[in-house]
Amino acid sequence: MPSDIAVAAAARRVKPARARVGVLPYALLLPSVLLLGTLIAYPLAFALTNSFRFWNLAVSPEPMMGVGFDNYAMILDSPDFLRALLNTVMLTVAGTAVEFALGFAIALVLSSALPGMSAARALLILPTTIAPIVVGFLYRYMYDPSGGLAVFILHTIGLPPPAEGLLGSANTALISVLFADVWQWTPFVAIILYAGLLSVPQEVLEAARLDGASRWTMVWRIKLPLIRQTALIVVMLRFMQLFNTFDLVLVLTRGGPGTATRTLGYSLYELGMVQYNIGMASAMTWIIVILVNIFIGIFFYIAFKGREL
Amino acid sequence: MRPDQRSSISRRTLLKTGTGAAIASAAAPYVFSRSARAQASSVRVLVVEDPFFFALKEVVSDFEAETGIAVELESLGYDALQARLVSSFVAQTSDADVITVDQMWSGQYTDNGWITPVDKFARGDSELDINDFIPQVLYSQNLWRGQLVTLPIAAYAQGVMYRADLFDQFGISAPPTATDESWTWEAYMEVLNALSGKEASGGRPLFPTVVCGAQPAPVVHMFTQLSGSLGARWFKQFPEAPWDFEPQIDSPEWVQALETYKALYKLSPPEAINYTWFDAGTRYSQGDVGMFWWWTPYFYLIKNNGYMTGTPSEIIDSYRVAALPKAPGVPQTISIGGWSLGIPSSSANQEAGYRFVRWATSAATQKKMALVPNYNYQFSDFARKSLYADEEVKAIYPFLDVQFDLMSQGNGKVTRPPMPSYAALEGVLGLQLNRALSDDADAAATLADTRLLFTNILQGNFMLPYQLESYDDTFANAEATIASIAG
Repeated sequence: MPSDIAVAAAARRVKPARARVGVLPYALLLPSVLLLGTLIAYPLAFALTNSFRFWNLAVSPEPMMGVGFDNYAMILDSPDFLRALLNTVMLTVAGTAVEFALGFAIALVLSSALPGMSAARALLILPTTIAPIVVGFLYRYMYDPSGGLAVFILHTIGLPPPAEGLLGSANTALISVLFADVWQWTPFVAIILYAGLLSVPQEVLEAARLDGASRWTMVWRIKLPLIRQTALIVVMLRFMQLFNTFDLVLVLTRGGPGTATRTLGYSLYELGMVQYNIGMASAMTWIIVILVNIFIGIFFYIAFKGREL
Repeated sequence: MRPDQRSSISRRTLLKTGTGAAIASAAAPYVFSRSARAQASSVRVLVVEDPFFFALKEVVSDFEAETGIAVELESLGYDALQARLVSSFVAQTSDADVITVDQMWSGQYTDNGWITPVDKFARGDSELDINDFIPQVLYSQNLWRGQLVTLPIAAYAQGVMYRADLFDQFGISAPPTATDESWTWEAYMEVLNALSGKEASGGRPLFPTVVCGAQPAPVVHMFTQLSGSLGARWFKQFPEAPWDFEPQIDSPEWVQALETYKALYKLSPPEAINYTWFDAGTRYSQGDVGMFWWWTPYFYLIKNNGYMTGTPSEIIDSYRVAALPKAPGVPQTISIGGWSLGIPSSSANQEAGYRFVRWATSAATQKKMALVPNYNYQFSDFARKSLYADEEVKAIYPFLDVQFDLMSQGNGKVTRPPMPSYAALEGVLGLQLNRALSDDADAAATLADTRLLFTNILQGNFMLPYQLESYDDTFANAEATIASIAG
């Protein structure tokens, strides 16, 4: 039996080896950390600094002075901020839910052995590859009150659009923006969920089938739980993207009529690229960052409670 | 790898690096001089994709042939251009040698040092022929604080377009082609009311007029022509010195303008609430609208059935143009807009840039652009007087006499003041106008709210009270500046 001294000595001998192993991963991670720091942390820190300054390019090409939290206060006091926040949350929650529901249904169809699924998969990816600005123009024509396809279809099915047009009425404008987003991004959700469904072990499905599980039971009790992590990631991605929606709004409505489709992303664009108010745009950026992180934090807490990531 | 190998490679690498650095150092002057020569033999031109661009690109090879300077011509949409220019200015990168500058940007770009005023090139330049430019255009678009900062490549006024065939059919007198005390906004509304309830061709309902409702810029562009014509002023004192930016946006003239604009919207297609610039023009070319006013490029754009389609519209032979209505006893004020060419301060190629600017804004080039037959002839936005008297051009664009009369009454500094906070104010006014139309909100209350928002913005931007030096930016001073440049 080795003495205590011998054991301690052996442990000391092990330590340098552990230290060597410990440095290597950090060294390998360093480039990625530096890259992320440069591309993400630096711009955010730059925006944070500017959010406490008066910097309006319409007045001066350089920051003029520190203003504390004035930029944040002015944004939060703005009468249109709450409306933009409300629109953003409605668009985000409804868009994520609809795209997930439709995407999951499409993924189930794709994973079936129906003929033509290969072609369907190839076609599905197409909308995702189109720039949102182009989608915006496409839908501007689709919603054109004097002959747009969407208007024609609505008339045909007995649901005439409002006289101001789908984009001109406060009752339908936000839904119309949402529909364009759903058209573009549902296939993306479907493809990701389809990939998740492919990873579900066939033995599990076969066993369920032998046990007499119905199709619904297999979908809700087996398939969906087994692709839970994939589903949560895709929901999170779409949530974050929808929260920052601005390009569709820019092309379709410019936030109108009134403030019916104004989103936080569009307000940010207007502050920074139309009014040149870098200080307030930076403050708005941080308000959005904080809000998105709060929502995502809550989402993670609920979705992954009691589970390892 | 053995230690001796590592050592050997390291030395070789060191030698390679050292040799490379030495060669690079020795060659640097040669490389840079080549680069400078390459720059001098080409100019990069970044323009907005308005109708003038499509004519310019057809004739730009003439400049290359005349000067031996190659032109890299790039076009962008309005929003993209604005974003790219500001990004490059802030980053202090040389993105182009010549850029298009909206008149609303010229003050900001000059004050921030982002563009080099063309003043220093233009003084003593006999080839420029500055006296040929319409002075109201230079005053509105190109002069800032007594300097010629840019030169106009496309100048727009606002005028009336009406359907002569429908006017004949319904027994309505044609509006005058020159400003007339009897042609008032009340008379304009009477004509529209006479067109109300009538039918267009094919049994379609006829809309008496069409307005722009989209926020922020389109609705403001159309509305401010109406308000300016009624005598409304944005601020207590601007452009005359001393500048006082206390908002006047809720004055009786503004309230009357908004009430009139709301009445006009009720006579328009309801979807006009979302109409941008070309939506309104395109709608007019569809044949179910009686009369409207808009930027003068629509005098020719409505010849097509869509924006720059080249396919003749159904109204191509039946529309005419007319003078803009006015307020009784108030001197007429026509909105001037358009695009100018400027030279970024970051450009290392400013001489060649100016040569291009002078060439593109010359009467000869502008005439060539006007004679390009594409899209049914789509360029008559002249800033030069001589082209309005050119018979060859007038044969293609028969409305030039009316257009020149409108230009001559122009004052862009009153209708849309190009002061540094204008973009923020336009954003607020555009939203408020759009909301007033869609919600049928009370005009006085809407403008009272707008005044509060204006005050907040102006105080926040240190414009109220104004603490910097004012410039007495009157038309008389503009004429004096032009005379001094002409020498």
